[in-house]
Amino acid sequence: MKILVCIKQVPDMESKFKVNAAGTWYDDADLAWRMNEYDEYAVEQAIRLKEQVGDSDLTVLSIGSKRVQETMKKALAMGCDRGVHVNDDIVQHKSPFEIASIIAEFAGNKDFDMIFTGMQSQDRGSGQVGVLVAELLSLPCISTIVEFAYADGKVSAKRELEGGTRALVSCGLPALVTCQLGLNSPRYPTLPNIMKAKKKELLSFDVTELLKVEARQETVKTYFPDKKAGGLVLEGDVNDLADQLVKILKDQTAVLA
Amino acid sequence: MEYTREIYWNVGHGATTLVPMYLLTILAVALLGYQARRLIADYRQGKSLDRTDNLLGRIVFMLKSMVLQSKVLKVRGPGVAHALFFWGFLLLFIGTGLIVLQADFTDLLFGIKFLKGTFYLLFSVVLDIAGVVAIAMLFGLLIRRYIVRPEGLESTRDDAIMHGLLFAILISGFVIEGARMAVTELGTPLALWSPVGLLFANGLAGLGEESLRSVHLLTWWFHLLLVMAFIGLIPFTKFRHIFTTSANYLFADRGPKGKLVGLDLEDEEADSFGAAKIQDLTWKDIFDGDACTQCKRCQDRCPAYNTEKPLSPMKLVQQIVQVAHNDPQADLIAACDKDAIWSCTTCRACQEICPAAVEHVGKIIDMRRNLVLMEGEFPGEEVMAAMENTEVNGNPLGIGYASRGEWAASLGIKTLAEDPEVDILYFVGCYASFDARNIKIAKAFIRLCQAAGVKVGILGKEEKCCGEPMRKMGNEYLYQTLAGENIELIKAYGVKKVVTSCPHCFNTLQKDYRDFDFDVEVESYTSFLEQLVRSGRISLKSDSFDCTYHDSCYLGRHNDIYEAPRNLIRAAGGKITEMDKNRSEAFCCSAGGGRILAEEKLGSRINIKRVNMAAETDSPTLVSNCPFCLTMFEDGIKGAELEEQIVSRDIAEILAEHLKETV
Repeated sequence: MKILVCIKQVPDMESKFKVNAAGTWYDDADLAWRMNEYDEYAVEQAIRLKEQVGDSDLTVLSIGSKRVQETMKKALAMGCDRGVHVNDDIVQHKSPFEIASIIAEFAGNKDFDMIFTGMQSQDRGSGQVGVLVAELLSLPCISTIVEFAYADGKVSAKRELEGGTRALVSCGLPALVTCQLGLNSPRYPTLPNIMKAKKKELLSFDVTELLKVEARQETVKTYFPDKKAGGLVLEGDVNDLADQLVKILKDQTAVLA
Repeated sequence: MEYTREIYWNVGHGATTLVPMYLLTILAVALLGYQARRLIADYRQGKSLDRTDNLLGRIVFMLKSMVLQSKVLKVRGPGVAHALFFWGFLLLFIGTGLIVLQADFTDLLFGIKFLKGTFYLLFSVVLDIAGVVAIAMLFGLLIRRYIVRPEGLESTRDDAIMHGLLFAILISGFVIEGARMAVTELGTPLALWSPVGLLFANGLAGLGEESLRSVHLLTWWFHLLLVMAFIGLIPFTKFRHIFTTSANYLFADRGPKGKLVGLDLEDEEADSFGAAKIQDLTWKDIFDGDACTQCKRCQDRCPAYNTEKPLSPMKLVQQIVQVAHNDPQADLIAACDKDAIWSCTTCRACQEICPAAVEHVGKIIDMRRNLVLMEGEFPGEEVMAAMENTEVNGNPLGIGYASRGEWAASLGIKTLAEDPEVDILYFVGCYASFDARNIKIAKAFIRLCQAAGVKVGILGKEEKCCGEPMRKMGNEYLYQTLAGENIELIKAYGVKKVVTSCPHCFNTLQKDYRDFDFDVEVESYTSFLEQLVRSGRISLKSDSFDCTYHDSCYLGRHNDIYEAPRNLIRAAGGKITEMDKNRSEAFCCSAGGGRILAEEKLGSRINIKRVNMAAETDSPTLVSNCPFCLTMFEDGIKGAELEEQIVSRDIAEILAEHLKETV
């Protein structure tokens, strides 16, 4: 089985974000980088599938500057077989459609049986890339999965819906799934696998080789929203406070309606 | 007439005695040798480890620990009883040796007798006293073991055999003496030089010479048989500790204390890291189990054991040696129990007290290394998250690395990147950099340095976790990565001296980093500040206050820094009421061994137990010297609902408060 997992390197969300000089994205300075959380679930699930079916080959793909190779190494250490790095120093200015097109262009003639992506990235959060890749490759797509099973050439995946309900969706191969929190607990790479990862094949493409489409959208402006009014501190006797609170909840919210 | 006695009196001289006696001896020694070889083969399953460096120092340490019983005596009561018994038995052994020497060699071959005259009198009285002391101590130990039964002391078949055999040997010895004296010495002045023998002689005297001679002869051979049984049984029972514990002194870890053995992670030949099987440990790790006498001193002091966690250092060491003897292919980690392995706080109380020089902590770390490096396993999700946080941001708290130096922003302290010309580099550590409570300690330390005119620099956002909690949790790879980065950085700035306010950083930089060619001087803030106070560079107001002081495991047991912090507290006017468990006996706060990263899910809370000990001193303040301890005590005081009664402070805060403002 040929499996592809697509990952993105994102800033650690604990970092202090500043808007960049152009005002179109965040500034790179002083950020720590890691694998997009949802992509970690995708990598873990891809490796579990690989382990399940045995005879298989798992490629991890990432787009970005040289820096993303560090994150790819983690995916390789977790158990991917080879890496494909699409070198692009200005990946942050690519729209989801362009990113999806790059992936589809790479995957188009490779006959992947299964493609895993995160359901969205922690920084841009468009949630489009996986779904667009499926569309561009004419594959069935199951999005935001929280359970995954594969048997007899068929994928069965559970999706989390509103209100705590779940849907069980199945499809044949080839297929693409986008992975949601709760799908699995990503493994911690073992030392022998970290060492092996250093020697695994890492193919490099320049983005110009794979980008064949024009952008269909652009980010006009990135900014911090204006600060809304701060919290309200009520003081005084407890009985009065309760009355005041009830009044505020009645007047200004819908919780008691 | 010259004082002496006839050796082999009544037993018979010559071949009829000597041949069976020496045949029995050969048999006993052969049995001992046979089993010893089998045991040694079991130890040799372990990996090689050189413990023969500085042989002279090792021999001196062995003799001191053996002959003076210096480690055994660290615990009064049973320690004194054991030491007195040991000395008694040692004298009896030497006495018997002298008899053998004279009767079977010097007298037999050359007609030389030395057991005579004043020397014989001395010989006689000393051995009598030695024998009675040994009996008394053995009796005391028997009462302790079988009647008092201290909690946790487990008595096995070995203990019963040992008590029975030793009693029988000692008493039968006196019966022989008494029977002989009843016939040959009663009424002579010589008898007074065997006071205990005289008692037995008086008791037996009524039997008449013929019966006395029969009793003497039978008891003599019975006594000989018992002694031979004792020799033969040495390797089969806990008697083995006579040899194994002594050898363990010889092969003891000679420090630096608490420095872990490194792992060569680049070793292409290695197909496994850490210990999953007995063969992954060293021979010394296996041997330790047979040197252990199950005295349970480690268990009595283990913070995990004392809070109902599944770890007993004593049992763990026993489990390891049992695997080596009985089931060498067994899963070592399962045999020791994973929860036990994860429960250790590496507080070192076990190793510090162990009278057999057993090394417990390294074994636990070796097994943790296997779990982490080979299986990717941790004691909980939160620990794995902390590891990942450290990989990304250089601290286990997961806070953005760029804000690491922000606490110092308003203090006029520069990073080495801004100004590398400093007196000292303050290696702040993760907690004093990011944790609101501990930032106060960093600030206090800076105030003290500034008052003393010491120019301090920090690494700011370039500093990373020293790697100590990760290493103790078994993540040697992450530790070595962090160590490499910190060392390269510190060396590149040409730092002359590093001072730490975290004893975990201190121990790591001062000992573990030496594996990586790190030669910069490292000092704990306590001894550094003590020097500043002593030289008058820091002046303190000494208005008196009461407190109790907690020795952190890594400043105390790991580095023997007990007095510097106390001197500082006193210099600031502090009157210390010590907790029962202080200095080398201090009870861990729960956060060592990387446990700071883990939730304490098993048993009761260690920090609450320690905080209660502090509260028992009726001191309003619990002073400590470690960010982990402080964090645990803040939490423990709330958990124990002692907020009204006691507060937790770091020594730097106390000192900064007592600074005499200049001008």
